[in-house]
Amino acid sequence: MRGFLVRRLAALVPVLVGVSIVIFLLMHLAPGDVTTVLLGPQATEADRVALRRTLGLDRPVPVQYARWVARVAEGDLGTSIATSRPVATLILPRFLNTALLTATSLALAVMIGYGAGLLAALRHRSVLDRVLTGFTLLLGSTPPFWLGLVLVLFFALRLHWLPVSGMTDMAGEGGALDVARHLVLPTVTTALGPAAIITRLVRSSVLEAMGRPHVRVARAKGLGRGALLWRHVILNALPPIMTITGLQLGYLLGGALFSEVVFAWPGLGSLLYDSITARDTPVVQAATLLIALLFVMVNILVDLVNAALDPRLKES
Amino acid sequence: MKRMGHRTAGSLLIRAAIAAALAVIQPVSTLRAQAAGTLIWGMPSETDILDPHATGGWTTYQITYQIFEGLAKEDLTKGDVPTPPLVPGLATAWEISPDGLQYTFKLRPGVSFHDGTPFDAAAVKFNFERFWDKSSPDFYPKAASFVVAYTKWIKGIEVLDPMAVRITLTAPNYQWLRQGLQSYGQPLMVSPTAVKKYGNEGLALHPVGTGPFRFVERQQGVRTVLERNPDYWGQKAKLDRVIFRPLQDPATRINALSNGEVHMISTPPWDEIQGMIDDGFKLSTSPNVPYINYLYLNLKQDVFKDVRVRRAVNMAIDREGISREIYKKTGRPEFGLLSPGTDAYDPSFRSYKYDPDAAKKLLAEAGYPNGFKVVFEIPQVGTGELVESWIQRDLKKIGIDVELRKFEWVTYMGRWAGGMGQDVGMNEIGWGMSTPAWIGIVARCDTMAPDGQNSGYYCNKEVDALLSQALVTPDPAAAKALYQKANRLILDDAGYVPVVDDLQPVMLSPKVHGFVNPPEDWFDLSTVSVD
Repeated sequence: MRGFLVRRLAALVPVLVGVSIVIFLLMHLAPGDVTTVLLGPQATEADRVALRRTLGLDRPVPVQYARWVARVAEGDLGTSIATSRPVATLILPRFLNTALLTATSLALAVMIGYGAGLLAALRHRSVLDRVLTGFTLLLGSTPPFWLGLVLVLFFALRLHWLPVSGMTDMAGEGGALDVARHLVLPTVTTALGPAAIITRLVRSSVLEAMGRPHVRVARAKGLGRGALLWRHVILNALPPIMTITGLQLGYLLGGALFSEVVFAWPGLGSLLYDSITARDTPVVQAATLLIALLFVMVNILVDLVNAALDPRLKES
Repeated sequence: MKRMGHRTAGSLLIRAAIAAALAVIQPVSTLRAQAAGTLIWGMPSETDILDPHATGGWTTYQITYQIFEGLAKEDLTKGDVPTPPLVPGLATAWEISPDGLQYTFKLRPGVSFHDGTPFDAAAVKFNFERFWDKSSPDFYPKAASFVVAYTKWIKGIEVLDPMAVRITLTAPNYQWLRQGLQSYGQPLMVSPTAVKKYGNEGLALHPVGTGPFRFVERQQGVRTVLERNPDYWGQKAKLDRVIFRPLQDPATRINALSNGEVHMISTPPWDEIQGMIDDGFKLSTSPNVPYINYLYLNLKQDVFKDVRVRRAVNMAIDREGISREIYKKTGRPEFGLLSPGTDAYDPSFRSYKYDPDAAKKLLAEAGYPNGFKVVFEIPQVGTGELVESWIQRDLKKIGIDVELRKFEWVTYMGRWAGGMGQDVGMNEIGWGMSTPAWIGIVARCDTMAPDGQNSGYYCNKEVDALLSQALVTPDPAAAKALYQKANRLILDDAGYVPVVDDLQPVMLSPKVHGFVNPPEDWFDLSTVSVD
C-alpha cells in the first residue's frame, strides 16, 4: 500500500506543475493590462511602464514564472497585486468557506445518492424505482443557478425561513448556528445535481452486483438478506461508486461557484472571479493550484479506499 | 421492551433533529432585531483599496468619503441642488490670490485623525509630499499617478504657520479645488502616523482619516465595517455602524433587500424597480448626476470624417425610447457632453432630436444612401447589452449595419484608453465629473488617446481655446458661459453621441431615513438613520 501511495503522490507533482504553467500562460495571454486597472485612466504611459517594472511584469514570462515557483517553494504565495495583501491571507479564509460548502454538499449528495440509489435498486421496476429514477433525471438536468433562485423564492422570500445571502447575519453575532442557517440553501442547491448522478450510478452498480452468479448462489444457500446485501452486493458495487463520488467533487466545486454567486457565499470562486477581472495573477495562480491540489488529493483518497476494498487495484 | 426502547430512542432522535432544524430555520427577523443604528448596504461590486490617494472609482469613494476629508469638500447633504456646493472641510477658509496662482488655506483647529494624530499644517504638507513631491522620502508613485489631475497644477507648498498652508499653482485654474474631489485619486488627508507605521502600501489596510466614520474591519469580498467617529469635529453621524457588502449578482441584491438582509442597494436591475416600489421599498434618484453615458465616434475613420454622417448617427438614436423602455424611471435622454451635475449644465440644450428620416437624408447627401458597416466596441457589464442593441437597431433603420464587439471590462478599458483602432468606428463609456472642466479630459486635442481619454480623436482648436479660457476665468457665470459654448461647438461638430443620464437609482428599505442622493457618485451617510 505504501508503494501505491508513493506512486500516486509522485504523479501529483507533474499535474500541479502543468496546471500552474497553463494558468500562468493564460493570464499572460489574456488581453488587458493590470496597470490600467491599478492606475486608472488618467495615468500616463510612463506611469504604467514604471509600475510594470515595480511589479516585475516587464521581465520575460519564463523568468516571472521561475521567480514565482521559487517563492512558492519557500512557502510564499506572494502579494496580491490588486489588494496589496499577502495571497495566503486572502485565499485561506475563502478556501475554508468553499471547503465547508463543498463538504456539506458532498455529504448531502452522498446521503441522498446512496440512500435513493440503493432503495431504487432494491425496489427494481417498482413505482418507487420509476419515481426515483425520473426525479433524479430531472434534478440532474436542472441548472444549479436556476434551482438556487427557485429555492430562494420559496424558502426565503415566501416563507422567510432562511436567509438568501452571505455566511452570517451581518448585524448579528454570527456563530455556528447562524452559519448553519446560511448554509442550508447553498448546500441543497449545490448537492442536488451530484446527488442525482450518484443515485443513478448506485442503482445500476447495485443491480449489476445483484445479478452476479455468486449472489444467486449465496441467496440459494439461504444467506440472510442483510448479510447478502452487505457482503456480496454492496462491497462489490462500492469501487465504481467511490470513484464517481470522488469525481463528483470536481462538479461540486463547479456547482459551489454557481452557488457562491447566487447566494453571495464568500468562497474561492468569487475571489477567483474578482482576481481574474483585476488580472491579479498571484491570487489566480494560488487559488487554481489549491483547487487542483484538492481535487487530486480527493481522488488519491478514493483510489486508496478502492485499493483497500479491491486488492487487485494495488497490484495494477 | 427492547423494541419500545428502540422506538423511544428513535423518537428522541427525531425530536432532537426537528428541534435543531427549527433552531436553524427560524424567522429571519428575530436575529436582525439587534441591528438598530446599523446600515447595511448591498453594493454591486467589491471596492478597490481604501487609500483615497491611490485608488479610483465611485464605488470605492462611497466608502472612503465616509473616512477621509479634504481641505475643501463637496456638501453632499443636499439632493436638490444643480451641483454640490464647495464648503470648508479641514480648512475653515481659503483665499485665492488675484492672479489665481496662490491658494492660502486656514486649517480647522482642534481636529484629530482617528488615531489621535493632530491635524495641522505639518500633516497637510506630509500628504502633499506623499502624492506630489518626488523628492520626499514619503513619496508614493502610485498615489501620484492617481492624483495627477490635481497635482499637475502644483508648483509648491509652504507652511505659513502651524495652522495655515499656501499652495502655489503653475497656472491659474479656477476648477482646481473641484478637480481634486473627482473620481480618480482624491487629495484627502490621511494620517501621517498611520502611513509611517504601516507604510505607503499598508495604509490601504489601515485607513485612518478625520471623517465622520472610522474604519473597523474589512473582510475582502465579504464586508467592510465602519463605525461612528464620536470625536468628529462636525455634525456627528446618526448611525452607529455602516456595513458595506459586495453583492455582485443583481438578483441577489434584490433578494437580499426583499428579505431584510440589507437596507439599501445601489444599481438595482431596471425591471425590478417598479415591483420593489409596489412592495413598499423607496426609490431614490438624483436628477443632477455628474456623469453621462455617451458614444465616441472614430474621427480617424473616413466615414466619420464627414460631419453629416456624425450628425446622422446623433439623429438616428431614440434617446427618449431608451430612457423610457430600458431605464424605466431611472434614466433621462441626454443631448450634450456636459453632465447634469456641473454648474454649467443647460437642461434646455437639445443638440439633435430623434429624426430617422432626416438622418437617412443626411447619410445620402454624404454619399452613403445605402448606409455602411461599422464596428461598435462595448464592455461586458452586468446590465447586458440592452442599450447597445437598441442603438444597433436604430442605426439599422437608417442603413448603418452595426457589429457589436463585446469585451471583458479590463480588456475593454485598455482598448478604450488606448484609442480606437482603424477597424473600430464607435465605442462607449459612462463617465463624467461635477466639474465642467471634465469635457477637456475627453474632448481636447491634447488629450487624444493613448495619452489621454479622447478615444475617438475629436479635435477642434476653438473648443480647446474656450476650455483653456474657462479655466482661468474667476467669475463662475462667465466660466459657465464658456463651457456651454464649448459644449455647443462639440455637439455642432457631432464629435460625440450623448445618449442618456443614468439617474443613480438606489433602492431603500422603508426603515432607512435621511438618505440624500446628491449630484455626486458618492453619498454622505452621516445624515442617515435606520429604524
